[in-house]
Amino acid sequence: MLVTLDEAKRLIEEGKTLHIAADENMLNKLPKGKWIAGTTPYFIAKDGGITCKDKLFVDEIPWVDDCKTSVYDKSNIFDITKDAYPNGISFLIMPFASEVAVLYSKEAPYVEDLLMTPIVGWISGYDLSMSAKAKVYDGVSGESYDDKAVVLHISLPDDKIASLGIVNIFDVDESDAKIEFMEDALSVKKCLVNGEEVNFADYIENNKIDTRLPLVADYNSVLVNVSIKNISEKDRSVDLYAPVFKSSIYRFAKPVEDYVSSFGENLKGFDDIQPVFSCNCILNYLYGKLEGKAIPPFAGPVTFGEIAYQLLNQTLVYACIIDK
Amino acid sequence: MDDVLNSKFEKLIRGQITYKSNNLGLNLLISRLQRKYMANQADEVLNNCLKEMNAFFEKYQSVLTKDVESLKNL
Repeated sequence: MLVTLDEAKRLIEEGKTLHIAADENMLNKLPKGKWIAGTTPYFIAKDGGITCKDKLFVDEIPWVDDCKTSVYDKSNIFDITKDAYPNGISFLIMPFASEVAVLYSKEAPYVEDLLMTPIVGWISGYDLSMSAKAKVYDGVSGESYDDKAVVLHISLPDDKIASLGIVNIFDVDESDAKIEFMEDALSVKKCLVNGEEVNFADYIENNKIDTRLPLVADYNSVLVNVSIKNISEKDRSVDLYAPVFKSSIYRFAKPVEDYVSSFGENLKGFDDIQPVFSCNCILNYLYGKLEGKAIPPFAGPVTFGEIAYQLLNQTLVYACIIDK
Repeated sequence: MDDVLNSKFEKLIRGQITYKSNNLGLNLLISRLQRKYMANQADEVLNNCLKEMNAFFEKYQSVLTKDVESLKNL
């Protein structure tokens, strides 16, 4: 929930284990303690979406048997699976556009242990109206980084287990064009559309595709988005917020008229869910005009990428701790 | 190792049957193992995939009881 600086300090001084999201000027004032944080000034609070630099979004993690923080860079980020507790959950935050985030986005789907370790988290961001850097914080050491990942590893009691989930309001029409890429990449020029090679930027423009719609791939019924960042006029490449993978088949998502209604539809049956953490994408916040709009039962930071094992785009990600 | 379940795992990895779970991790695992096997259909690869699948089910058995039942009945 959104709290004042004094409330956040009190929770830290009480020894609570915390996940925190806030603007840098708030995070810089926090005392050391059992917490990690990332920067963002955007939140979906209980009362709706809000841009706020004088409060912090704090998740108090329950059922903590033990915990530790770890800091990784691109040389060792996948030690995250070795460092995780055998029965636990790991909260991962990485700065937007950092090398460690780029590497994670490309390699995570191939890491063998990854799905044995509940890893949930987000890509930290900044106020889009200003020139700023995304950062992450290790509350135990008091250090902050713009080029490293921080992780809060939690060990859960034997009778509890972590459960991760996603809510993706985007869907595809199976009869739409199949799009494939020749390599795993964050920036693409060529692609195959129904087997025929074309320039991807030309395909988007010639077909007047709304670039607010993500590419969507089906991972055994899990729909995973890749969001369009921009089209470069100079070299006719298309930059993406997550990599496309050569082994996947993509289609552009069907348009969503009303993001709030669509989330509402997708969240029918979620009344009993008690998330310990959730986050939602900045693109959903902007394109869906979520300022002032609530998405119960979920509240949390608005993020520049979401992590449920691997990097996701334009997705709501959540974590629960449930009875075994 | 449950032989019935293991034979279903093998068919799933080979793409001979389909199964969609409510468990995010399991769906991602099925997808990854199917792609891994499709890229290289050697016996060793299949065995490694089966090991991964079994390890996942062993770790998460408490929350996968319905999936076990459904898979056995496929």
